[in-house]
Amino acid sequence: MNRRAVWPLARCVIIEAVRRKDLWVVAILGLIIMLFAGALGFFGMRGLEAFAKDLGVSVLGLFSTILAVLISARQIPEEMNRRTLCPLLARPISRFDLLLGKYCGAVLATWLAFAMLAAATAIGLLAFGVPFEPIFAQYLLLKMLGLAAVCAASFALSLFTTPSAAATFGMLLAFGSGMLSRAFVLAGQSCPSGTRWFYGLIESLVPQFSLFDIGGRAAGGWPLVPVSVVGALTVYCTMIVGAMLCLSWLRFRRRAL
Amino acid sequence: MERAIEVEGLVVTYRGKRGAAVEAVRGLDFEVRPGEVVGFLGPNGAGKSSTLKALMGFVEPASGSCRVAGHPAGSLEAKRHAGYLPEVAQYYPFLTPLETLTLYGELQGLKGDELRHEAHELLDMVGLGAAHSRQNRTLSKGMLQRVGIAQALLGSPDVLVLDEVTSGLDPVGRRELRAVLRERRNRGCTLLFSSHELSEVEMLCDRIVLIEHGRLIEERNVEALKDELRRFSIVYRGQASMIGLSEEWRERSDGTFYARFTGKKGLMQAMERVFAAGAELIDVTADQGSFEDYFVQAIGRSA
Repeated sequence: MNRRAVWPLARCVIIEAVRRKDLWVVAILGLIIMLFAGALGFFGMRGLEAFAKDLGVSVLGLFSTILAVLISARQIPEEMNRRTLCPLLARPISRFDLLLGKYCGAVLATWLAFAMLAAATAIGLLAFGVPFEPIFAQYLLLKMLGLAAVCAASFALSLFTTPSAAATFGMLLAFGSGMLSRAFVLAGQSCPSGTRWFYGLIESLVPQFSLFDIGGRAAGGWPLVPVSVVGALTVYCTMIVGAMLCLSWLRFRRRAL
Repeated sequence: MERAIEVEGLVVTYRGKRGAAVEAVRGLDFEVRPGEVVGFLGPNGAGKSSTLKALMGFVEPASGSCRVAGHPAGSLEAKRHAGYLPEVAQYYPFLTPLETLTLYGELQGLKGDELRHEAHELLDMVGLGAAHSRQNRTLSKGMLQRVGIAQALLGSPDVLVLDEVTSGLDPVGRRELRAVLRERRNRGCTLLFSSHELSEVEMLCDRIVLIEHGRLIEERNVEALKDELRRFSIVYRGQASMIGLSEEWRERSDGTFYARFTGKKGLMQAMERVFAAGAELIDVTADQGSFEDYFVQAIGRSA
């Protein structure tokens, strides 16, 4: 692995995300959030702090996840459409270096958008006079891990299908993984005991992105999540990213350009 | 390094409609010596781009092998020695030419002042010095081709593989490109390029490799081919016979004779006959011959 190749590729993804105005959309959304929260404060709607916090983290989670899916699902297909892969791979870098660089760029661009949205939400909530509990910081950290995992899944999907299908599947997986798992659990429970292991296996293979979302707890002012849980989720995120990058590489390593 | 490029028994297949394998290259063999400039020619669909892609490791050969600078094609070592210009590329629309070269340069292992200096020098060389900070999406097709040429030259590679190198360039751009490629050749760089512009091939190449349907048709030395294509004609008055010597021999309406010959040897023998017969030599002309005619005939012969 050529680590020197990763940053130039990632930087290129971030510059493109900024110049094609992906992040402008985020900035406008952030402004709307701030104005909305400011309006609530201006009209003196006290007692709605929990509602405002819930709305803030929901909007933050929703838009950052959509951006994560869209940014990562287009990376490799767009390179193929523009035929820019050949000049890149003519350099002394491996195909894995290229995948890693593009993935890191997608994650950093997503995190940048998330940071902008989070800052707007925080400013809006502060303007509304809503205090921050430490769990909000944990929410941000876990959400960033979740976004990295969503990016990896969408990135891998884009190598197996068309970019639009990858974006659709990515969204379904990002927003519906919990529901999908519950469906498999229920299906397993209603099946004969001999076939339950099959549903259990599928359920364990579906990435559980909802585990990284503690927005509801953050809005409700719950106590901090234990450090061991945060550690376990970090390991889980690493496993998802590793598995998805491996899948991407297996698909891409011999693909004719 | 005895050979800059070696292609042995190369077979490249693609999956066509309904999953059937389609052979784009069918057992191709050729080599390029260090410092040589070779034109890689063939009609559309002959397998030129597939061969060049195999040379860069973008497609895996079904059988056979390719080596660049003595290293297996596609290996990091081979890529360290090679520069590549793809047939069509749009480059990053939201980056500037300078940022594009910086990206490729960093991937090549260049950095700092060395990279900045080389990027600016190359952009000046290809005529994009004034446009280095414009985003690629605002550049014309020809300007993007110049970005492509500049990125191929980054890091001063020993071997340059250029696919449709003159595509999108105007006559001035082509002339500038020829100067750039000649300068690289003088530095000892090996060039293999495909082009449909036979005049470029004629002006730049030492040798041509002609393929069709993925197979080698012939390899020719360009100077020898030029000699072969050159036609000489004489006009004389008198009784010298050109039977068995000329391609065409006829008496003209003014009583003079016209004769046409292939190669210098035929011309010299004809002039000896004219002088030996005491005839009067009126005119001698040389016609360069057309690479296009040669190309069409060679492809026609192979069909």
